[in-house]
Amino acid sequence: MASTVASTPERGVKPRTRVEYLRFNAFHRWMHFLVFVSFTVLVFTGMPLKYKDTEWARWVMDAIGGVTAAGVYHRIAAIITVLYWLAEVTFMIVSIVRHRGRGVLGPGSMMFNQKDLRDIAGMFAWFLGKGAKPQFDRYTYWEKFDFTSLVLGTVIIGTTGFMMWFPLETTKVAPGIILNIALVIHSNEALLAMGVIFIFVHFFSAHLKPESFPLDKVIFTGSLPVEHYKAERPLEYARRVREGTLDEVLVERRVTWRTHVADVLWWTFTAVAGVSALLMSAFIIWSVFD
Amino acid sequence: MRAWADASAPRRTTRSPGLVLLLTLALALDVGAAMRVPVAAALSPGAEECAECHNAENPGTISVAGETKPLAMDLDAYEASLHGKLDCTGCHLGFKSRTHTANQTEGWLRTAKLEACRNCHADQFTMYEGSFHGTLVFDEASTEAPVCADCHTPHNIVAPDSPQFRRGILDLCARCHGGRGETYLDSYHGKAFLLGNDQTATCIDCHGGHRILPESDPASLISDENRVATCARCHAGANTNFAGFMVHLDPQDPRDSFTVWLFWLAYVLLIAAVFTFGGVHTAMYIYRGIKDGLYGRKHS
Repeated sequence: MASTVASTPERGVKPRTRVEYLRFNAFHRWMHFLVFVSFTVLVFTGMPLKYKDTEWARWVMDAIGGVTAAGVYHRIAAIITVLYWLAEVTFMIVSIVRHRGRGVLGPGSMMFNQKDLRDIAGMFAWFLGKGAKPQFDRYTYWEKFDFTSLVLGTVIIGTTGFMMWFPLETTKVAPGIILNIALVIHSNEALLAMGVIFIFVHFFSAHLKPESFPLDKVIFTGSLPVEHYKAERPLEYARRVREGTLDEVLVERRVTWRTHVADVLWWTFTAVAGVSALLMSAFIIWSVFD
Repeated sequence: MRAWADASAPRRTTRSPGLVLLLTLALALDVGAAMRVPVAAALSPGAEECAECHNAENPGTISVAGETKPLAMDLDAYEASLHGKLDCTGCHLGFKSRTHTANQTEGWLRTAKLEACRNCHADQFTMYEGSFHGTLVFDEASTEAPVCADCHTPHNIVAPDSPQFRRGILDLCARCHGGRGETYLDSYHGKAFLLGNDQTATCIDCHGGHRILPESDPASLISDENRVATCARCHAGANTNFAGFMVHLDPQDPRDSFTVWLFWLAYVLLIAAVFTFGGVHTAMYIYRGIKDGLYGRKHS
């Protein structure tokens, strides 16, 4: 993205190179970007409908350009959601096939395993000052929850969304009450997803927890200093050293003026997402107590 | 097939460009005649006479049927209404004398709000007469059931397909049918309506305007016999299943639909569980982070 300003002359910052740990490849990063954009649009065009009798719902709708325009944006974002979901599932299937099923349930996998239960117990013990912080592999239990809830939640919210988008077609094969049920599911699944992404799991994970505060930008840059990663995910690091696969994830990263331009961009994204999250959360909390 | 259909209920029609062209042409050709008519057409001569007393400056009041009503009239609003060029006596039948007592007025008011409308709007009046509301008024002498002027207002009459009228429909019906209004606002149409869409279906688009009948009456727009056709007025291709969608359903009430209520309950519990766990986890993590001085000790 930073390449778009390539005409600006390079000066001041001396290019230097450092070895970093590649946590997210370009595919991961593009997926996150698409989720980021579509999710924000979906929340802002959808939540006013759930809280339609509040003043803020009216403000948001007026700012967007009315309920009809919001419906169009919501559907465009829904199509993006379907596309990224299909791409992600394809990516997962290709990965599994390419590795001939090895590692699907292994320590570096997104799948839940018994260690996650021990980690939850271990984290609560650490919170209470009774024991050391558990050591994590590639993904923590809250990251697995974040990802799984998005992939499965998209199926639920997508299916019900398309039912409501095409009510005539839906009722050709199902009774009319399916549209009542679809609305209840879609609306509440949306609130659940918003809470998970905007407050309790994703924002906490990327911004609020001490290791990430105020911004963990690895989902944008893809790589992070090896020492940093070693401290955060010691088990994956140790595993790669043991298996001799560390070289696969070590990348040379040139730090240039572009890096700093990109940093501004990541912070802008974060600001947009942060303001969106705060605003929408505040609106909903306001509605609950109003 | 359309015999039961309420002629006045707004439908999604677009004005044909041909008609507009024709009207423009007619207007252009008749421009000479149009010039002879005063542009800022005032009240009719008959209405001017009434306006000598019933104007905005008149501070007087009159007691009619125990209610104190002002003698003043918002003549500008009346003039701007669809009836603005009519004589007052067109509706206030029998007002011949310049002096009229409160007793006379009481009878006339009822006439003007109901019976007088028939003289010009016979079709609508006939539909209303046979409706649930009309039956209450004529057969049971109800003073609560709405008469023409209750929905159309006495003086500021606007076109029933105008945004001004459509925006007010819900309030009109909610005077008596408040609970139905609540569930309507929770429905797809209601959400769109509340957030500013004037074209979405409101009460009268499904229930009809003048000939509103209970669901159990086969002639009703929402009866089992007619419901599909009523939906199809906007949703071309609607079928029986589609028309089985419950507009007035409260998901939080198990008596409305136990199935829908179960979904609602399941989500409330799920959301409460996830948010509680997430909230506690987040708060404790932050607490530990502050206590151990982990914030700001960033690696990169």
